[in-house]
Amino acid sequence: MVFKQELKWNFKSLLIWSVILGGLVFLMMQIYPDFAKQQGNLEALLEAYPEGIKKAFNMDQLSLGTVLGFYAIEGYMLITLIGSIYVVLLSGNMLAKEEGEKTIEFLLSKPISRTSLVTQKMLVIVVNVILFNLFVSLINLTGFMIVDDGTFEFYPFVLMSIAPILLHLTFASIAFLLSSIFRKGRQILSITVGLVFITYFLQVISSVSDKLENLKYMSPFVYVDAADIITNESIKGLYLVIMFAVMIICTISTYWYYRKKDIAV
Amino acid sequence: MKAIEMDHLTKYYGKHQAVSDLTFSVDEGEVYGFIGPNGAGKSTTIRTLLNFIFPTSGSAKIFGKDIVTQSTVIKQEVGYLPSEVHFYENMKVKELLHYSAGFYHNKSYKKRMNELTERLDLDVHKKFEDLSFGNRKKVGIVQALLHEPRLLIMDEPTGGLDPLMQHTFFDLLMEEKKKGVTIFFSSHILSEVQKMCDRVAIIKEGKLIANDTIENLTKNQFKKVTILLSEGQTLNLNVDGIIQQEQLGLMLTILFRGDIHELINALSKEDYRDVVIEEPSLDEIFMHFYETENGGVEVGL
Repeated sequence: MVFKQELKWNFKSLLIWSVILGGLVFLMMQIYPDFAKQQGNLEALLEAYPEGIKKAFNMDQLSLGTVLGFYAIEGYMLITLIGSIYVVLLSGNMLAKEEGEKTIEFLLSKPISRTSLVTQKMLVIVVNVILFNLFVSLINLTGFMIVDDGTFEFYPFVLMSIAPILLHLTFASIAFLLSSIFRKGRQILSITVGLVFITYFLQVISSVSDKLENLKYMSPFVYVDAADIITNESIKGLYLVIMFAVMIICTISTYWYYRKKDIAV
Repeated sequence: MKAIEMDHLTKYYGKHQAVSDLTFSVDEGEVYGFIGPNGAGKSTTIRTLLNFIFPTSGSAKIFGKDIVTQSTVIKQEVGYLPSEVHFYENMKVKELLHYSAGFYHNKSYKKRMNELTERLDLDVHKKFEDLSFGNRKKVGIVQALLHEPRLLIMDEPTGGLDPLMQHTFFDLLMEEKKKGVTIFFSSHILSEVQKMCDRVAIIKEGKLIANDTIENLTKNQFKKVTILLSEGQTLNLNVDGIIQQEQLGLMLTILFRGDIHELINALSKEDYRDVVIEEPSLDEIFMHFYETENGGVEVGL
């Protein structure tokens, strides 16, 4: 019941976020042919960029002259960063809104266990994250097909579509845990959106400065770095382990906490 | 089988003791009033019974099932009406009622839904954000009754209903009672408790101070004695069982619980103009429980 109802409630915002983000990337890709044509000039121009900036945007490893390279530099950040914001907004509210709006009293008086309530709400998040990425990737793919000049490769594209799902689920599990603990959506919102931005800047800093390179372990954005994916055609095992570990720990903690929580509204 | 059975049920919020050592039971088919002022622990007890919060110690059973470990099974047979009804603001009444009904095994609710909404004069096509407090309460009533529960738990059920609606609501409850439904509700409006209930429990600062049938509470145990004195006369009776003695002008009011003969004997030695001995209302008994210092009365009810 809860699963179906929540899917229904969240579907409109899922569509809006997918269409806007997918649409942005789609439009962005439309300027790729112009870039590719003048690639010679462009690379000369980029040479003039400070090293730091090039590193920060992966321009030292990627080429603006391939479809995916262009996407990785210009569009991928939108999906990972802005997508993560969408996901923490969704998950951070998922349980807390029931307490905030005091509707939890209604739900808990129904014959549904807390375990089932958490499971159903979690499934809603997983389904929304996957659908969101699927929609965006499909829109992206259409965009890539239109501008493809023969440089498009399918396998890295698939990886670059899956990696954000893992990133999003990692953030979602953290936000969901907070959602089970706090009652006010606003608190969770500030913590999780803050977390997304801070870890994003950690990624930027860790790629620019060699001294601070170890910060990269602190940022999920590094785990799904587009340059790594395109160059190695894989996501590093260690990073996968970290992401799954965060998801599992957060999920178990959510169940553990919520099943014993005193919920008095 | 008992509908509700509490066994030393205790709930602390941090160090604050909200409910302490409650032991009493509600028989199946009974209408049971749970009375006490705001903050006495009525809602806390109800929320513990429904497992919104967990008991600090002690336990309770509903239809023989443990309220913590078997809460989900219990709720198939329980209808709950909260004191303040909160629903999803952008949902229509109809959607919510279908949503609510979807959680229960009992799927033949549509006819009942139409009956109930009609009797309570509820427009099911409205959204919650457009509903008044009273109308929200009506939705609360319908969703509590819709799946034909065996036990109704209600927290301050009549708040927000106009007198006409209260009447309809009591009619509905009486019909449920006839079907054998157990009704457990908290209230601080004693006239409605007196009208409806078979038995009551009185709770004060989280502790149970009385638990009996209304009849016993009002008839057998307490007498309200009003004595009209002569001009300038004061009277101070000293008889075992006088709980409260108050003189206002020429009027001496006594709340008495004990052997009435002793009182009459004592009175016969005194001089007075008139005497009335009557049963006190539930209000007076209640007020007595609450006004007495230190929990007062060692009435082993």
